[in-house]
Amino acid sequence: MNSVNTSSCYLADIDFDDRTFPFSYGLLPASLEISVVKVGLLQPPLLLSGDKGLKIVCGRRRLEVLKRLTDGAEKISFYLVENSSAKELFRRALWENLAFREFNLVETADIYVAASQLFTADEIEREIMPALKLPLRPRFRLRCQAITEFPGKLRDLLALGIFDAETVDLVGEWSDDERSALTDLVKDAGLRRNKLREVVSRLDDLARRDKVSPLKFLSAARKAAFCEDGSIAVELLRGHLKALLYPHLTAARQEFAINQEKFSWPANLRLDPPPDFEGGDYRLSFTFTDSREWEKICDKLNSVALEDIDELCQRG
Amino acid sequence: MNSVNVDKYSRSLFRPTTVLVEDEASGYPLTESILSRLPNAEVVVIKRPTSENLVRLSQQFSPDTTLLLGSHRGRFLKACPGTAESYRCCLYQILHLGLGCNIGCSYCVLQGYLNNPFITQFVNLDDAFAELDRELERPGVFYRIGTGEFTDSLFMDPLTGLAPRLLDYFGRCENAVLELKTKSVAIAGLLDYPGEIGETIVSWSLNAPQVCKKEEGHAATIEERLTAAALCRQRGYRIGLHFDPLLYFTGWQDEYRQTVASIFTHLEGSDIIWISIGAFRFMPQVKEVLKANHPKTNITAGEFIRGIDGKQRYFSDIRRQLYRFLVTEIRRYAPDLFIYFCMEDKYLWQDTFGFAPADNQELSHWLDKCCYCFVDK
Repeated sequence: MNSVNTSSCYLADIDFDDRTFPFSYGLLPASLEISVVKVGLLQPPLLLSGDKGLKIVCGRRRLEVLKRLTDGAEKISFYLVENSSAKELFRRALWENLAFREFNLVETADIYVAASQLFTADEIEREIMPALKLPLRPRFRLRCQAITEFPGKLRDLLALGIFDAETVDLVGEWSDDERSALTDLVKDAGLRRNKLREVVSRLDDLARRDKVSPLKFLSAARKAAFCEDGSIAVELLRGHLKALLYPHLTAARQEFAINQEKFSWPANLRLDPPPDFEGGDYRLSFTFTDSREWEKICDKLNSVALEDIDELCQRG
Repeated sequence: MNSVNVDKYSRSLFRPTTVLVEDEASGYPLTESILSRLPNAEVVVIKRPTSENLVRLSQQFSPDTTLLLGSHRGRFLKACPGTAESYRCCLYQILHLGLGCNIGCSYCVLQGYLNNPFITQFVNLDDAFAELDRELERPGVFYRIGTGEFTDSLFMDPLTGLAPRLLDYFGRCENAVLELKTKSVAIAGLLDYPGEIGETIVSWSLNAPQVCKKEEGHAATIEERLTAAALCRQRGYRIGLHFDPLLYFTGWQDEYRQTVASIFTHLEGSDIIWISIGAFRFMPQVKEVLKANHPKTNITAGEFIRGIDGKQRYFSDIRRQLYRFLVTEIRRYAPDLFIYFCMEDKYLWQDTFGFAPADNQELSHWLDKCCYCFVDK
């Protein structure tokens, strides 16, 4: 950096809308707020003169906390950088941030896309992508590009860590309407990471299978899982989608359950098919507390006709 | 050689405009021979690339139009990776002479396995043959060896001239049979081969016409493949057929019935040494790669469950439907033809055929016996 001078300004002089250096997105950690309340800004932020005010190069999160706490009336000290290229400042801010924290998905995407405007392809591969822990594969570049174009509501959920990267890839090709409906579902059903990925994956598979919009299945699943109190029952939602995507497997499970009902077994005796009926090993399990219960179970088992077992295990 | 459209059979499916030559691969006869067949290609000599360098190189040179010539340092003869013991595998051996192909099948599992984006040809053939010499010395062991596991055996054969070199070797082998698997019709090198072809098997991967059209890139049509198979049979080669992967889609019965009928308009049952069948399966991580590479395909959006080997497979009732149908259709034309499953469990063997190999060794032995039967004939 060529020149850094210490200076002071009011928070109102800072252009918070400028995202030339997009190193922060999403909820600010409570610990940061506590720190600012207790001791203020220990380390002056790095700012740069801009057309609409001072641009934030480094220290946005602390400044945003302070702005929220003081309504912008606070006067602060800062480092004013001059005679430095945007690229050099970007690099400095990147490594400064990395020294303290990991970026969320939105930040990573924003940084990658912004860096792509400043750095050469070779610099991106040798420095920026490794710094962001992005593998050198086209799909990761495409993912970043997609995230920067997502609607704000969805980006907010991503920044909160509710979506994982795989889910982001799935919705990458969805339309804004489809993403918006998904965002509503996520909020209403309280879906999080793994279950959300499963739901999105099934919606995506169904849409691809039938070559229709995922909205068709999303709306139907919403209805199927709608509770009287206005909430969405996650298990009903998952079950509905699973039955749609796995009609044969669902039918096989139902058939197995009906066949097993014929035995009128007590609750402590059960027969399970192989997981997803793959392979051939059925599992018989029971619990007992004494010899009387043991005897009862043995009687029940002895009373089963072998033809019924054959029927139960018969597939196809 | 039959005079039918000779040009078609001597055309490489891959015509690279750039050839990357690893420095260690320079000077090999195969390198020189390939380069002589590509007089207009840009030739770039490179150091042996690391996997990271390969990614960088792929940004500089399009893998669609670039061939990499390398020298293979590891073992050439490898056991087919197969799958977990819960599914029966045939204990095939792979002669590892190259990687990748440009046919572009949407379902190709190599998309998820290979970290090398370039179609790669290993040129140190003498090392491969020396290793084969050592391996095949083992007494009492019969080898079924194929080159079509990590690549298509013939898709650029007119460029590499590899098939005749392999015939030179395997044509005189008594305890090994070579199987060349392809979806191309680049068979000129096989038809023109003047020497003994031994028990060499030329195999075609077959599918439903609709699958061929939508999912198999620029592979030859089913009719073209079967016409090529008939020509190879006339030349004396054994013919193998592989229905793998079977796909489950609306109208699959009519489509697969059509392909089976086509087989027997071109070939007699007795021309075919075996037919293998395998339903579509893939490692879970391949799904996203496959979707990214082939956004229009919907083949992974079916009723897939996680198999005991961790691979995604159609739910067993669907596989059972596919298998029973196909086996019944084939049996209508060729009741005695040997049909086997690739990576399938013993229960589905039992349900479909009424018998099942006790283990991989038994299945392997059954296939070996097919080879002996042909030898006897």
